[in-house]
Amino acid sequence: MSTAADRAGVRQRIEALLRADGGRMRLTDRAGDFLFEPQADTLHVKVEREAVRRTAAALVADLGARFLVTVGTDRRPLAGDYGIVHLFSLDAEQLFVALDCGVDSGDARIDSITPVVPAAAWAEREFRDAVGVVPEGHPDPRRLMLADDWPEGLYPLRRDVPHDLKPPATEGVRPPMKAPPPGTSVVAVGPFFPVLEEPSCWRLFVDGERIVGCDYRGFYNHRGIEKLGDTVLTYGQIPFLAERICGICGFIHSTCYCQAVEKAAGIEVPRRGRYLRTIMLELERIHSHLLWLGIAGHIIGFDAVLMQAWRIREPVMWLCEAISGNRKTYGMNTVGGLRRDLAPEMKPRVLEVLGPVEKESLAVREAILGDTTLIARTRDVGPLPPETARALGVVGPPARASGLRIDARLDHPYAAYDEIVPHLCLQEGGDTWSRVLVRVEELLDSVRLVREALAALPDGTVLADVGEDVPADRMAISVVEAPRGEAVHYLLTGGDNRPYRWRVRAPSYPNLQAMPAMVQGQTIADVPITLGSLDPCFSCTERVEAVDVRTRTVRVYEPAELRELAQRKRGPS
Amino acid sequence: MSALARIGLCLLNAGVGLLVSPLFEGLTRKLKAALQSRIGPPVYQPYLDLLKLLGKEDLRTSRGFFDAAGPALSLGFVLLLALLAPMGGPPPLAFAGDVVALLYVATAAAAVLVLTGYASGSAYAFVGGSREIMLLLTVEPVMAVALVVGVFKARTLTVSGLLAWQAAQGPTISMAIAALAFFLALQAQAGRIPFDIAEADQELMGGPLVEQSGPRLALFRWAMWARQLVLSFVLVELFLPWPRVGVLSLDLLLALLKVAVVLALVTVVDVVNPRLRVDQALGYYLRVVFGALAGLAFAVIGM
Repeated sequence: MSTAADRAGVRQRIEALLRADGGRMRLTDRAGDFLFEPQADTLHVKVEREAVRRTAAALVADLGARFLVTVGTDRRPLAGDYGIVHLFSLDAEQLFVALDCGVDSGDARIDSITPVVPAAAWAEREFRDAVGVVPEGHPDPRRLMLADDWPEGLYPLRRDVPHDLKPPATEGVRPPMKAPPPGTSVVAVGPFFPVLEEPSCWRLFVDGERIVGCDYRGFYNHRGIEKLGDTVLTYGQIPFLAERICGICGFIHSTCYCQAVEKAAGIEVPRRGRYLRTIMLELERIHSHLLWLGIAGHIIGFDAVLMQAWRIREPVMWLCEAISGNRKTYGMNTVGGLRRDLAPEMKPRVLEVLGPVEKESLAVREAILGDTTLIARTRDVGPLPPETARALGVVGPPARASGLRIDARLDHPYAAYDEIVPHLCLQEGGDTWSRVLVRVEELLDSVRLVREALAALPDGTVLADVGEDVPADRMAISVVEAPRGEAVHYLLTGGDNRPYRWRVRAPSYPNLQAMPAMVQGQTIADVPITLGSLDPCFSCTERVEAVDVRTRTVRVYEPAELRELAQRKRGPS
Repeated sequence: MSALARIGLCLLNAGVGLLVSPLFEGLTRKLKAALQSRIGPPVYQPYLDLLKLLGKEDLRTSRGFFDAAGPALSLGFVLLLALLAPMGGPPPLAFAGDVVALLYVATAAAAVLVLTGYASGSAYAFVGGSREIMLLLTVEPVMAVALVVGVFKARTLTVSGLLAWQAAQGPTISMAIAALAFFLALQAQAGRIPFDIAEADQELMGGPLVEQSGPRLALFRWAMWARQLVLSFVLVELFLPWPRVGVLSLDLLLALLKVAVVLALVTVVDVVNPRLRVDQALGYYLRVVFGALAGLAFAVIGM
């Protein structure tokens, strides 16, 4: 946890920033000074609209802050404005900074911070789409997450837009894509592509096999999760929805959400509960990294790795089923702790499963380390220099493979990570090979963490007594290190037993933004493994609030029609 | 050879090429599965695949010449290749210089697939096709040099002459090197990992094959399986013909066994490697060409 001295030091530096800015910012981390009561680990900086870009630049440049995400909130019923809150992390001080800017509802514009903080590119496009605040000076102001036929001027996250609104579908709308540079042709990877398990469209601009640029259109998987969280569900129901944000790291999202509520409400999770969360989180990392290893092998045509990695993984899934009743989507988390304890007879069983997993993972590591063909396919592929990774806010194994010392388990310890300390798995190469090595090391470290947590597992209950209602108008930021990187949940508590605003940032959200930089100058053959090396999770990234009305309409084509369509597409144009 | 015997031999070679090649494909799938801790499909699965695909509707993305004739042409070239190759007996179609014809026909079968891919107009087929051409241009010299070693030693340009000389001569250093080079070329000719670069499912969704479906896909697949089998026959018959019994059925059986071993080796290499990038593959085969030239040098000094 951050010490009082750390906090005071950061406070002083921020106050120095404030003085330099002639009073257009206010530090408001005292109760009553502002509408929302922040937490002890969060510095709440209120900033005027004109100063937001300068302050963000200073935070990153002078204080070494790392951009997390921006939360756009319709605060008209509360404060009469739209709240644009840029979240930053001061990893060394274990602090969050919330840069809060109220935007007048009559003049919904704000200075874009993307020119000075490139990592904010998607986050700013997203609040433009969702609450209708225009980031002025944004280098790429296209739509990010709304469907192409979503009407202009209808902002789904505004409080007066119902969660089940269905605007009429429009035919023949296409997303505005970048034009390929002269002399290049376009190779589309997606929207549906064999090695991408989910829809996502990359348009590669290629000169022969060499890539000179690319464009992205994603967010095909909108499920309206955040909107549901603050209109329909209650605090106690959301963990089950949060768990469904991702099919692989579901426990991570439910933990991250529960921690945010616990922070906001001041609930202390029992120590055994925190340890069990750690165990489940690390089991999830083990099976996720094995899953990734298999997919990465498959992408470069190395199916032997796929088959072996998934064979090793399977007993972990059975173990999770024995513990929770489900292979995935355990339904174990709830606000205040866990709904299910670890049965005493499960303890030896966990160790029994981990033994072979570790042994076989070591064997796989040996095989990989000596495989020159594999190294040829991954070394110097998808290069990501540390400064680029830092600027784009890349998190998780891709960041650590570029030498960035980022790990949410160490930067902002949660669950039992203050007592069961993970090893920071670093590599300097910044290429796909380094990312393979980081993940394999983490896999083995997770085995160690589960063992240590089991050995030190305290007795007692796993669920705190959550008596009172969650108080309104409190803000909390919670992070969890998912296998793919740091997941961030922001919570603003509301009065009707549900959040006023719940914002989720999955790790693939920043990582995918690094993709154009990573494939520049590479060949087509390298694109799938480069994308794979980010371990992208599109559905998590696209948890946001729009409902794609087009997917609701089902049309059955007759074979003749299909054939005609196919030929028309091919015909002279 | 009497006309009747020649026709019989033609039928035999074509029959082996067409009807036995799916069986070998099934065997390699089974072996691959075993190496990957899988059960795998039944050995006869490729036959079912062909039947199923042949029974499907013929969907086309364009109406050009290659879309209509490409699949049949490709399989036709492979059948011609089968008639030029020795399978237990001498090749049924024998004429002066048929070694050169063998090389050309083997390439033509692959080239037809590339042209059909180009005709389909898909960007993936374009990329896959250009990869295939690049690969062919580096792999063909390897096979050519390997055969030239034999031609140089046996002083003949006929396949049957080569076969007879090698069977009588016994192993030599130069022919062993040539055999190894031919085997390495076979990996790419059969479209196996690490050289399945043109099709690269995970990158190009099948490359030249991406727009092929139904009966046309069946014919292309069949042609590829038959081609890998016939080229394996060329390898074992021309470079490793011993022991030569002289009885057609026995020699054919022996050759089939040797082909099975060769394809098993190809499959093992396929399983234990990831796919190479095309530039890496070209670099690899460039080194193999120089290796094969060493074989030719040995042949020149009579070893």
